[in-house]
Amino acid sequence: MAVTLPEGDLQTRLARYLDGLNNRHGIEDSSVDGNIVLVWVRPEDVPAVLATARETLGILHLSFITVVDRQGSFELTYEMLDLRGGQVRVKTVVEGEEPVIQTVTDIYPTANWHEREAYDMFGIAFRGHPDLRRLYMWQDHFDHHPLLKSFEISTKRTFEGLR
Amino acid sequence: MQTVLNLLEVEPIRLLISFGAVLFLVLNLAAVLTMAERKVSGYIQLRYGPNRVGPRGLLQPAADVFKLFTKENVSPGRSDLWVFLGAPIAMFIPAALVWLVVPFAPEAVVADLNVAILFFVAITSIGALGVVMAGYGSRSAFSLLGALRGAAQMISYEVPLILSLLGVVMLTGSLSLVDVVQAQGDTIWTWYFLPQLPMFITFYIAGLAEVKRVPFDLPEGESEIVGGYMIEYSGMTWALIQAAEFASMAVISAVTVTLFVGGWQPPLPFLDLGPFNWVWFGLKTALIMFTFQWIRWSVPRLRMDQLMDLGWKILVPVTLIWLFVTAGAMLVF
Amino acid sequence: MLGEQRRAEHEGALTEPASGRLASPDIRDEFGLETIDMNMGPQHPAMHGLLRLILELDGETVVRCDPVMGYLHRSKEKISENRMYPAVIPITDRIDYMNNIAMEYGYCLAVEKLLDVEIPPRADAIRALMNEFGRIMSHIPSVGFLLLELGAFTPILYAFRERERIQSIFEAVTGARMMFHYIRIGGVKADLPEGMTETMWEYIEGLEKRLQPDFVDLIGGNEIFISRTRGIGKMSQEKAVEMGLTGVPLRCTGVEFDVRKHYPYGWYKNLDFDVITDEAGDVEASYRVRMGEVRQSIRMIKQILENLPEGEVLGDLGRRLRPNEGDGIARIESARGEYAVHVVSDGSDTPYRVHYRTPCTVNMQLLQEIVPGHYLPDIMPIMGLIDPVSGSWDK
Repeated sequence: MAVTLPEGDLQTRLARYLDGLNNRHGIEDSSVDGNIVLVWVRPEDVPAVLATARETLGILHLSFITVVDRQGSFELTYEMLDLRGGQVRVKTVVEGEEPVIQTVTDIYPTANWHEREAYDMFGIAFRGHPDLRRLYMWQDHFDHHPLLKSFEISTKRTFEGLR
Repeated sequence: MQTVLNLLEVEPIRLLISFGAVLFLVLNLAAVLTMAERKVSGYIQLRYGPNRVGPRGLLQPAADVFKLFTKENVSPGRSDLWVFLGAPIAMFIPAALVWLVVPFAPEAVVADLNVAILFFVAITSIGALGVVMAGYGSRSAFSLLGALRGAAQMISYEVPLILSLLGVVMLTGSLSLVDVVQAQGDTIWTWYFLPQLPMFITFYIAGLAEVKRVPFDLPEGESEIVGGYMIEYSGMTWALIQAAEFASMAVISAVTVTLFVGGWQPPLPFLDLGPFNWVWFGLKTALIMFTFQWIRWSVPRLRMDQLMDLGWKILVPVTLIWLFVTAGAMLVF
Repeated sequence: MLGEQRRAEHEGALTEPASGRLASPDIRDEFGLETIDMNMGPQHPAMHGLLRLILELDGETVVRCDPVMGYLHRSKEKISENRMYPAVIPITDRIDYMNNIAMEYGYCLAVEKLLDVEIPPRADAIRALMNEFGRIMSHIPSVGFLLLELGAFTPILYAFRERERIQSIFEAVTGARMMFHYIRIGGVKADLPEGMTETMWEYIEGLEKRLQPDFVDLIGGNEIFISRTRGIGKMSQEKAVEMGLTGVPLRCTGVEFDVRKHYPYGWYKNLDFDVITDEAGDVEASYRVRMGEVRQSIRMIKQILENLPEGEVLGDLGRRLRPNEGDGIARIESARGEYAVHVVSDGSDTPYRVHYRTPCTVNMQLLQEIVPGHYLPDIMPIMGLIDPVSGSWDK
C-alpha cells in the first residue's frame, strides 16, 4: 500500500544515484551540483536510464519534461525527484527536423501528458505512446507546432537598441 | 348588483371565479416567493439581496417578470416542439390545481371535496409528467438525465408522501381537508404534528423532494447537469417552470400546515381572530416556506443513490412502523 | 469545407464513436442498452474555468472520461520567449489566477539561479510571507468551490469574504488586488507599508478564530457533505505517486512531500512547520488537508511577522539582465502542488525558452484514471479534490 521513499544522508544518496546510472548505461557526461545529479545520455538510452532510475534507484517522481528547440536539434530535459531532497536530471539531444524518441509512459505514467504537450508544441513523436494527441492546440486542421523557433509570431521584438 | 351576487351562488360560476382568484393569488405568490428567496439567501450569505428596484428592492419581481416577458423564447433546433412547449404548462397546471382543495379558512375553500387528500395525491403525481416532457422534448443529454432523475425521484417519494398521510386520515376518519383541520382543534398541543411527529417529518422531507428543493434538487443539479430538464428553456417558458416550482412549493407548505399544523386554527383559543383566521394559515405557511428556503441555502445536494436510499430504506419503513403504532394506539384508547 | 467538418464534429455531443462498454454488462446486455455520450464543458459552471470532459455514461455511471484542454491556452511560454527577463513576471501572474504570487515567485527564483545573485533577507522573508497569504487566499475559496459544486451555495461567499480581506492586504502591499507583479528579480517591488505588520497580525488572529466555526464545524460535520465526499475519488499512494501528483492530492493519500520542506527555498529554511497528510486519500481527506495547511500557513505568517529582518528589499542588478548561458530550474510549492519553472538562457535579453511545470496540468491526468466507475455527480467533488485552475492547466 504505502510507497517507500528513500532515506538517509543526501550526499550518499546522490552518489548512489550517480553510480547506479553510470555503471549501467553509456552516459556521455555526468556531474553532481548541489542536490542535482545531471547526466547526459544518448536519446536511445533514455527509457533504459529512466527505468533504472525508477525501478533500481527508487526515484518515484517525474517532475517535468522540457524540450528546447536548438534549431536543428532538440534538447530534452527529464527532471526527476526522489521526493526527499535529491534530483536527477537526464538530458539528451535529438537530432533532426522531425525527431522521434522512445516514450517513457510505461516507466512513468505521468509522462503521458508531458509527452503530449511536447508533441503538441514541438512535433516530437514519442514512439509507443498510448495516446499521442495534441494537448492544447486543435486536434485537426492545425499543422503547426507553435513553440518551434521557426514558428514566427507577428509581434516579434528585438531589444538591440536598448541600453 | 344583486343579480351578480346571485350568480355567485350558481355552482360552476362560483367555482370558476374562486379558482380564478386562487390562480391570481398563486401567480403573485410565485413572484413574492422569488423575492423572498433572494432576500433570505442574501441575509444568509452576508449580503443584501436585491435592493435597487423600488423601495428596498420590492419591485424587483415586477422587473423580473417584465424582463422575462420581453425575452425571446428560444427552442433548440432539433427539439420536439410540441412536447417542449407543452411541458411548462403540464408542470404549472397540477401545481395550481391543488390549490382547489386547500382550505384557507372554514368557508374559504374553492371545492370542499370529500376526497380532497386523494385529489392532492393524484394531482401532485402528475407533475412528474411535465418534467419528463421537458427533458424529452429538449433533446439534450443534460435534460434527459435531469428528467430521468426527476421522474425517479418524484415517483419514489410519492410512496412515503402518501404513507405519511395515512396516519392523519386514520385519526380523522375523513379524506376532506376541512375535516382534518377541524379535527385538530384550536390548541397547539392537539395538532397532529405532535402525535404524528415521525409522519410530519417524513411528509416534510418527502414534500421537499416532491418540489425538488435542495437537498433534493437533483433534477436541476445546477453544478452537474446545469439546470437539468430546464436547461433549454428561456423567457416565459422558463418563467412558467419557475412559477410552477414556487407554486408547488407553496402548495406543499400549505398542505403540510393543513394536515399537521392545524390549518387556520389559532395556536391557543384566546388568539382566535374570528373571520380573520386565515392570517394564521398564512403565517404558518410562510414559516414552513421559510424553513424550505433556510434549508436550501444551508446544505449541499444528495446523490441519486443516496436519495433513493433515504426514501426507500428510511422514510418508508418509518412511516409503516408509525402506521402500526397509530393503529395500535387507536385500538387501545 | 473546413467549416462543414467543424460543424459536423460539433453536431450533438459525439466526437468519437461510443465504445459501448457498460458499467455492468452482464445484466444489461440482454436488454440491448447502450451508453450515451455527453459533452461536459467547456462552458459548464463546475469545470473550474474552461475544461471540456467527453464523458460516456451508462445511466449515471461514467464509463469513460476524456479531458480536453486548451480552451484558455494563451501560449505564455511563447510570449515569455519574446520579452526581456523582468517583463515575463506579469505573464506568470496570469498562470494561476487564484494563487498568482507563487507563480511570480517560481519564475524569479529560476532567473535568480541563472544570475546567481543573493537576495536581501528582508525581501526573502516578505516573499515567504506573501506567498503564505497567497496560499490561504487560494485554499479557503477552493473549499468554498468544493461545497458550491456539491450544491451548497453559501460557503463560497464566506470563503470569498476571507479572500477579499486578504486581497485588501495585498492591495495595500503590492498595489493590485489580483495581478500583483510584486516579486521582482532580486527582491520584491517595495517594502511593507507602515503599520502593515499590525494589520496582518490582526487579520491572522481573526482568521484563526473564524476558521473553526465557519469552515470546520459547519462544513466538516455536515452529514450530506460527508456522504458526498467520503470514499469518493479514493486512490492509493502508489497510484498518486505514479500519476505524478503533487500538493494536496498527493498529501491526502499520506505521502509526505512538500517542496517547502524537502526542497527548501528562500525563507522557508528558517521556518518551523508541519507537512499535513491524511491517510484516506479521498475528497474529504483533501478538505481536511487544506484546512490543516491554512493553519500551518497562519503559523508560518506569525513566525515571519515575529522576526522580520530589517534592511533592503530589492538588490541592484542593473537595468539590463543578461544571464549566462545555461539552465535555471526552480520549484516551489504553490497552493496546487509542485510548480517548477525552467528558464533556458542563451545570453541575450530574452529567455531562450521558459517552461512552466504547472501542477494542475499534471494533477488533472487523474480525471482519466479515477473518474470512470464513479457516478456523474461525483465528478464535481473529484474536481474539488484536484482543485485545478483554468489558467494554470492551459498555460
